[in-house]
Parts: sequence; structure tokens; C-alpha cells
Amino acid sequence: MNTKFLKLTLLALVLFTASCSNDDNETVVAETETVSNLEAPSTASGYTKFSFSKNAVVTTDDWDIAFRGTTILVNGGVKGSDATEPARTGQGAVSIVSDIFANVTTVPANETFKQDTATLYAIPTGGGNGWYTYNVVGLHIIAPIAGKVFVVKTHDGKYAKFEVLSYYKDAPAEPNYMTSVAGYYKFNFAYQANSNTTF
Amino acid sequence: MRLRITPFMSLFFCGMAFGQMKDSIAVDEKLAEVVVTGTRTQRKLSTLPLPMTVITSEAILKTGVTRLNEILNEQTGVILIPDESGFEGIQMQGLDAAYTMILIDGVPLVGRTSGVLDLSRVSVGNIDRIEIVKGASSALYGSEAMGGVINVITKRPKNDGVDGSLSYRYGTFNTNDINGNVLWKKKKLAANLFANFYSTDGFDLDKSTWVQNIEKFHNTTIQPKIYYDFSENLKLTVSNRFFYQMIDNKAVIDSERHTGDATENEWNSQAKLDHKWNSKIYSEYELYATNYRNDSFLKNENNVLFEKAFYNQWLLRPEIRTTFSINKDKLTAGLGINHETLDRTYFSENVTFNSQYVFVQYDYNPSEKLNILAGFRYDNHSAYASQLSPKLAANYKITDDFSLKASVGYGYKAPDFRQLYFDFMNPQVGYTVLGYNIAEDRLNELEAQGQIALRTSGVNFSVPLKAESAINFNFGTFYKKNKFKLDINAFYNSISNLIDTRVVALKSNGQNVFSYTNISEIFTYGLEYNSTYTFNKKIAVSLGYQYLIAKDKSVVDDFDNHKFVRPPGSGTIEISKSDYFGLFNRSKHTVNIKLAYSFPEIKTDINLRVFYRSKYGIFDSNGNSVLDKYDRFVDGYAQANLSISKYITDKLMLQGGANNLLDYTNPGQINNLAGRQFFARIQYNF
Repeated sequence: MNTKFLKLTLLALVLFTASCSNDDNETVVAETETVSNLEAPSTASGYTKFSFSKNAVVTTDDWDIAFRGTTILVNGGVKGSDATEPARTGQGAVSIVSDIFANVTTVPANETFKQDTATLYAIPTGGGNGWYTYNVVGLHIIAPIAGKVFVVKTHDGKYAKFEVLSYYKDAPAEPNYMTSVAGYYKFNFAYQANSNTTF
Repeated sequence: MRLRITPFMSLFFCGMAFGQMKDSIAVDEKLAEVVVTGTRTQRKLSTLPLPMTVITSEAILKTGVTRLNEILNEQTGVILIPDESGFEGIQMQGLDAAYTMILIDGVPLVGRTSGVLDLSRVSVGNIDRIEIVKGASSALYGSEAMGGVINVITKRPKNDGVDGSLSYRYGTFNTNDINGNVLWKKKKLAANLFANFYSTDGFDLDKSTWVQNIEKFHNTTIQPKIYYDFSENLKLTVSNRFFYQMIDNKAVIDSERHTGDATENEWNSQAKLDHKWNSKIYSEYELYATNYRNDSFLKNENNVLFEKAFYNQWLLRPEIRTTFSINKDKLTAGLGINHETLDRTYFSENVTFNSQYVFVQYDYNPSEKLNILAGFRYDNHSAYASQLSPKLAANYKITDDFSLKASVGYGYKAPDFRQLYFDFMNPQVGYTVLGYNIAEDRLNELEAQGQIALRTSGVNFSVPLKAESAINFNFGTFYKKNKFKLDINAFYNSISNLIDTRVVALKSNGQNVFSYTNISEIFTYGLEYNSTYTFNKKIAVSLGYQYLIAKDKSVVDDFDNHKFVRPPGSGTIEISKSDYFGLFNRSKHTVNIKLAYSFPEIKTDINLRVFYRSKYGIFDSNGNSVLDKYDRFVDGYAQANLSISKYITDKLMLQGGANNLLDYTNPGQINNLAGRQFFARIQYNF
């Protein structure tokens, strides 16, 4: 009898607290979503475009970031020399933050945001420059740098943040360059659907 | 495997039981052990102001091992471990194998295909002693001797007549080692012929895969030498070494089995004239030539050639050294020329290096107690900046039994051929690696062909790639009294301009172009301890220990770049600088305990060696590109080697034992550690 009562009380308490917090704060905390096995083409056959608001791969112009190999584009700025790159039709930009993903709760200052240019991407390419490291001797593994969080201004001016978790199919804990299949992104993201500058 | 070894073991024990009981051979106290590697002159070990280890032929024989890598692996402060290239080599004072020079009778071995020399290609069957000098030795030996020098000195005929030995050893994995060494001398003329044949089926830690850890191979070594004394004051030595090895080449590429061969051919030839002008002046004229060549190929299941590779390196080196004895002191001066060529797959051209060098060393004894060794070497090189390598060392004898030694030296390692001329595209992944000296031209070519999407900004190749350089300090003691011998040495190495790869361009296929650059600074420090206590004629115990810290300076100085880690299966966390463990492949603690037990009445020796290596990391597993305490480590482990030797007569010895007696393996992480290997050997000395 006693335990049943206790359980019910606890349940009521939890429900009450949960509803309270929603009422207290108008800011909607952006949910963290995980995308697995997003396939990025490895050759000149184009880019895989992704929309944060739809949480899906898109083929239209309302994409936010696009992947090919280890290169990540943002939908804002100028198209580079590569003919297969999609045109930048949005107002996207990226600011790179070094922190724990959950601790990035506010959008960084405006001047830290960069757009793609004809010669330089907002997320720099090359090992150790952008989101990954790669060592030519030894493991030959594309390893995402821990604590690299990319705050993205989406094509329509909203904000999202993402961090790359793996570059290999099914995100093996210890990828092997002989057996693991490269070009499959796993990443966390949080999308702020309101025009808020917090996550 | 155990059943196969049983007949040998029973043979061995029979031998033990029926062995003649003769008087024990007195254990000779070596009064003044003479070494040559530290100074390039005959020198008493006890007053040498440098950290040095000597392994005698008796010690090698008692262990029952057959290859150079195996005996080196049993020494304190010499650690056999694969480096980041994946190849096994020697680590001394925390420095990788590329920084230790390997000499045979004073002249260097070449053939560092991936920066590391394969030391299993040297048989120990004709070794008189091995001298190991730790710490920067470029003041005498130039490039490559940045971390130290290992000199393998072979036996030479001493007395008139014929002597030598024949031996056969059989071990697990169908390993055969056949040795013959004949030494002959008649007054002024002497000759020596050594031959060794070694074959093994290799070993396999993971039976589920088709390829083995080590594939089946065999090799042959032949070393003929001739000595002629024109007079007491003019002596000629001509020595040659031929080595041939063939290993089964196997690989799985795109889940298809490929097979082929890999062969190695090595040839060394040295002619040396020792000339004593008078009691005060002594000269050595040396001409050395060597060639190392390897060839390999792989064919697929339909017998279609997939890959063919070769590596062909030549070195020609004339050198003259003269030592002047001035009272108690010695002044040594030398000069020489290196002419080196390399032709290999992935080089666009046959490349040549030329260098000239001089060195001077003063071995100064201002008092009975103090010895000072000062010297420098100057290298002028065709492909990189000239190098001046000074060294200063001192030994102070506090008592006859106890002395203190200190040394400071500069060491360097020139950029190797690969770092300057490599031109390689990985066919499977599609990345490209370019040597520093050809990178600019090749990048322009690739750009013209439309293969480059983006050049990394700020990268140019106008300033030549610098040699890696080190400052090395050693401070140690030497104590020897009655039954106890003790050696302690503290060391510190600071290495700058370390050469590493970096991305220089992005290819239009999405992959990178890498080249080499002087990037990081590392430092290593630690302590080496060696002691031996001889209880009586029967028992001697020795203990060796090394404490080592090796870190990247840029990581220590700017840890913010590495403070976030994401251990597999969890979220990102922040760590502190104290969590940084250091460089990969370095154990903090390595220990060896050696126990020698003699039964003089039955002429039997038991030799047990136990080794421990504390945990070490082989790669970053949590996304901060350095090794920290949250990474996955290779667990520390212990290993034991046992050998039992028994003389049936003065000339006939039987030996049996086991390497890796405890059968420790770690297939997932340590691919060069085979399981337990029994062996039996018969040796006849004449």
C-alpha cells in the first residue's frame, strides 16, 4: 500500500514539475537529434544536402549544409571553382566554437560567422583545420576533433549547432582504414525553430 | 607443437644426466673491459664519461636467442616496439628507431625503407660483443646518431690455428637456425668465414584471417673476412657480408587474396688499414661500400600483377682517422665522404646525396681522477643545411670504485630521402604524399591537370626542410665493488624541428595532398638503473629499470587545443593538462630481472629473464589527437625467457628453453609478440 502511494505521489510531482518548467520559460530548448549514416559522395558526383528544419536530406535549394567527402559546405556565400558544388541561395554562415556540445547554449557574436568564399570554405578543409584530423602515417583514420561545435546560421536565418561524431559507416568505436567504410557521417545537431539565439 | 619438441627436451635432459663432471670454469673478473664505440679509440669502459652498455658473446650464447632484435630487446633502456610507421624498431631514451644508428664493425647498416631498420636481418652467431651508446652521438657519427649508436662487433681470429663453432637450433613455428663460424690464423695471415641459415613458418595470432602476423620466410648470411699483417705497424682487414632473405608476400585487397614474394639483398664490404706511425701516432684508413635492395610483388587470384615495388640504396664511404697520443691524452681527428644514392618505387627520379665531414675529439686527463672528452663534427651536405655537432663529457673518479659522469651533446638527423623525394598516390584511398623538395613542382603539375581543388594557404617550400636536432644531457654514476655493480643514469633530450606530415592541398577527388614540414618539438626525460649482484660462483641477479616521460612540447604549452575528448560511446568531456599521458608507444616503466644460476659440478647454466613493460598508448581514441588518460591503452604485461645450457664436454653444448615462457599475447594490440616458443640447440666448438 505504502509503496503504491509513494509511487503515485512521485509521478504527480514529476508531472507537476514538468508542466511548471514549460510554463515558466517561453524559450523552447532545442532538442538534440542524431543523424546516422548520412552518405557523402566521395567523387565529383555532387553533394548531399541536408536541412536542419526537416531533419532530412533534401534536393531542393532550402538546404543548410552539404557534404562531399570530408568537405562540408554552408548555404551562404559564394560558390567555388568546383562545378558540382550547389549554388549558395541562402543566407547561411558558420561560427566554430570549441566547447562541449551541450554547453553551447547561446549563438556566438555575429562577426565570428563566416560564409563560404570562392577559395575558402567557412568550415576549413584539411586535417586539423576544420572538423577532423588525419595522419598519413599510422592509422589513416579521419577522426572528428572532440569539442568542435559548428553553430550554423541556416539558409533562412535560423540557428542550429552540430558536431560530427563519426565519418565511418555505423560509427565503429575504433574504425580501421582497411575494413571501415568511409563517407558516412554521424552527427548531433540541435535546431532552434524560433528565431531565438539560444539553444 | 609441444609433442614435437619433446624428443629434443629428453635428449637435453639425458645430456644433463650423463654429462662429465669436470671442474667449473672460473668466472673471470673482467679487469678492464675495453670498448671502442664511444670514442672510436680503444677505451676503458669504467672511465668512459658516456652511458654505455656492453653485451658479451657469452651473455648472448647463454640466452639462446639468434637474432639481433631479440638480444637487444633484453637490455635495459632498449625497447623494441613498432613506431607510428607500424614497423618494429629500437626505442632508446624515448626516441624512435629512426634516431639510432646501427653499425656492424663500426660501419652503418642502410635500408630504412620506412625509416626503421629491420634488425632481425642480423644474426648473432658471430658476434663478439655489442656496444650500445645512449644519447646524442652525432659528434662522432653524424646524422642518425641523434639518440645513440649500437655497434655490433664480430669475432676475429686471435690465435694461430683453426677454431670456431657449428650449431643447429630448432624451435617452435618450425624455426631452424644453422650456424657455422670458422676462424683461422697463421702468423701474418688470418681468415674468418661465417655462415648462417635461418628459416621459419612465421606465426599467426588471428587464425580467422588468411594472412599471418609474420609470413613464412628464410634468410642466409655469409660473412667472409681476410686479415693480413704487413708488419706489426701495418695491418689490413677486408670484410664482406652478404644477406639474402625471401618472405611470402600476402595481402587481402578489396576482399581479394593477393600473393607474391618479397626479397631482400644486402651486401657490405669494408677494407681497413691500421697504420701505427710510431708510439704516438696511429691512423686508420677505411673504405666502406654497401648496397641494400628489396623487391616485392603481389598478384591477384587470376595471376594478374597488382603491385611491384623496389628499393635500392647504395652508400660509399671512405674515411680516415688519426689519433695522436700526447702524454696521457689523446687527440683524434677524422674526415670522410658519404656518397649515397637511392632509387625506389614512388620516387620520380634516382636521387643522390653527397656529404663531407670532419670530426675532432680530445680525450683529456688533467688529473688521475678527472677525464674530459670534448669534440665536434662538421657535416657539409648537398641537400640540407650544414651541421655542427659538439659534445662535451666528463668523468670524475671519486674513489677507485665510484665515479660520476656527465655529458651534453648535440645530435641531428637529416631529412631522409623519403621526406624529400617521395611521390606517392595511395591507389585505394586516393591521397597523395609528396617529398618536400619535389612538392612545389608536383603541385603545379597536378594543378595544371585539374587535380587540385584548393592549395592550403600559407604553405610554401622556399625554405629548405631543416634537419631534426636534439640537445641531450646525461648524468650518471658508476659503482663497482666486489660482488656489486651499479649504474644509474638520468637523461634529458629536447628535440626540435621534428619532421611531420601536413596537408598542403585538397584534391578534386576530396582527398588530401600531404607533404613534410618541421613542425613539433618533443622532450623526453627519465632515469635508467642497472645493478648486478653476484652472490657467489653460482648465483647472479641483475635488475634493470627505466623510467620514461616523453611529451610533445606544443601540447604541453597549449593544451586548450586538446582539452576536449569524446571517449567511444559517450559524450564530450573536458580534461585537464595533467591528464596528458605523452607520446604514443612509450611505457613509463620498463623492468627486467635476470637470474643466472650455475651448477659448476654438472657444467650447467640456467638463465631466467623476466621483463615487464607498463601500459602504453598506440593511438588517440577520443578525438583530441593526443594520448590522454581516457584513451584506450595497451595493458602493461610481463614476459619471461628461459634457457638452460649444458656442456657435455668442453666442446659440446646442449641448450634448451623457451621464449615468452608465460605465453603472453595480445593479438588485437601487439602484433609483433608471438606466443611461447620452445627451442633446443646443439653447439660444437672447435
